[in-house]
Amino acid sequence: MATQAETLGTLAAVRGATDRSDEIGLIRAAQHGDSEAFEQLVRAYDQNVLRMAFNLLHSREDARDVYQEVFLRVYRNLPKFRFDCSFSTWLYRIVANLCLDQLRKRKVRKETSPAIETTAGEMDSLQFVPERRAEVDPQRRLLSAEVNTRVNEVLEGLTPRERIVFEMRHFQGMRLRAIGDALGVTEEAAKNCLFRATQKMRAALGDFV
Amino acid sequence: MTCREARLNLSLYLYGELDFAREEAFEQHLSSCALCQRAFAREKAWHTSLNSERRDVDVDLLMECRQDLRVALAQRKKERSLSWLMRWMEPSRWPAGRWSVRLALASFLVFLGFSASRWMERAGLAESGFGGGSLMSVLNPATARVRDIQPDGQNGVRIIVDQVKEREITGSPEDDSIRRLLVAAMNESLDPGIRVDSAEMLRNQAGERDVRDALLNSVRKDPNAAVRLKALEALRRFSSDPATRDTLAFVLQHDDNPGVRSEAIDILAPAGQKIDITPDLALTLQSILRSEPEDDYVRNRCLQVLQRMNASGDVY
Repeated sequence: MATQAETLGTLAAVRGATDRSDEIGLIRAAQHGDSEAFEQLVRAYDQNVLRMAFNLLHSREDARDVYQEVFLRVYRNLPKFRFDCSFSTWLYRIVANLCLDQLRKRKVRKETSPAIETTAGEMDSLQFVPERRAEVDPQRRLLSAEVNTRVNEVLEGLTPRERIVFEMRHFQGMRLRAIGDALGVTEEAAKNCLFRATQKMRAALGDFV
Repeated sequence: MTCREARLNLSLYLYGELDFAREEAFEQHLSSCALCQRAFAREKAWHTSLNSERRDVDVDLLMECRQDLRVALAQRKKERSLSWLMRWMEPSRWPAGRWSVRLALASFLVFLGFSASRWMERAGLAESGFGGGSLMSVLNPATARVRDIQPDGQNGVRIIVDQVKEREITGSPEDDSIRRLLVAAMNESLDPGIRVDSAEMLRNQAGERDVRDALLNSVRKDPNAAVRLKALEALRRFSSDPATRDTLAFVLQHDDNPGVRSEAIDILAPAGQKIDITPDLALTLQSILRSEPEDDYVRNRCLQVLQRMNASGDVY
């Protein structure tokens, strides 16, 4: 049976097969009110958007809110989209801005912990996501839990911008130029952010590898 | 490139974000520096370790998000279609400073609405006394029936309408209430498709007296051959029941559909099985032998049955 990761991977591969001309056609159709074209656009990007929001915000509810707000903004503003940049750059700009807002608000409210309240007490929200890789070997599971904790600590210690840049580069595989475009900064500024983030990560994870 | 510079560029190299010249210099340095090679191996290891800690978004959350978005978009579209008039009435769409034009148009719209309602009233199109439903929908023959008409003494009329209200009932055919509904549908529905479906659903309930009576009734009287066939199939298990046998004999003699008659003889005398034939039934079979054409399936089956009884077609 295909795992969730495999399923999503397959979907991503299908999405990747959609070439740019197809995407332009979809955008134009959606601009003229074609709901199906808009839905196809959403499906081409929504897994990445949700994954990014969830991993940045560590909250299902917040990720859900960001997802909805991103695509509602796209829907509202698509008629004004003039192809000055790529659709993905435009979309990730919206995602990055919404996630940055959320992260900044949390910093102000000192709500940086990924812990959430449950009936069983306070728990890490990521514990609700099934972890399949380390479940067989108890030693590996223990190490995995420690690495997980350390990664979370480092991520929480990054500035919102460093965190987004790191997320986009390391996990989403975006080029620094595209990240700069999405964040409205130069490529060099994005590179500096990434540099600082990787230094912190190296320092934190060095003992485990 | 120095060791310090190389160490600073470890991740950027792994990300493929160094320009061509720096990448060349980095690789050159790495190939000749054991310490930087070890640092590079550690850098790769934490990158890999980080990737392995990465969680996928679960599919349920994705589906929930898509559903939420669909609902939100539908709502937005609805709002949009309702607000076109409001946007049209926006001051920016009007000649600057001409408030009197707006007032005139608003008055015109009020007048238009008033006139339309008066016209509908005179033309007899307005609703009266039906609580909001239009007259046409009330008088839809599929859902309504006029039960009584009484003059009200003032040149008017009072009409009593029985309306059918749609309701969904779910349950197992084994439930009494469901079974009764299915029996009623099989006996009374005007739609042969409904009668066929009812017979099919009652197939396993044929042991119940009311169901069997309804099936026997359908076999004898239903005008639609498909319904009769379906009812016969449901009675297959009861071929030894006297009432069923009588009905099967009746079908063999009187049903005008060859398919139904074939089914009846197959139920009455299943091939390869012991058959309990009463003298009355034997007479019936003989009469069929005489009335059916030579090559008829039913006739041949009747002949087989009589031969298995060691009775010729002329014994009785």
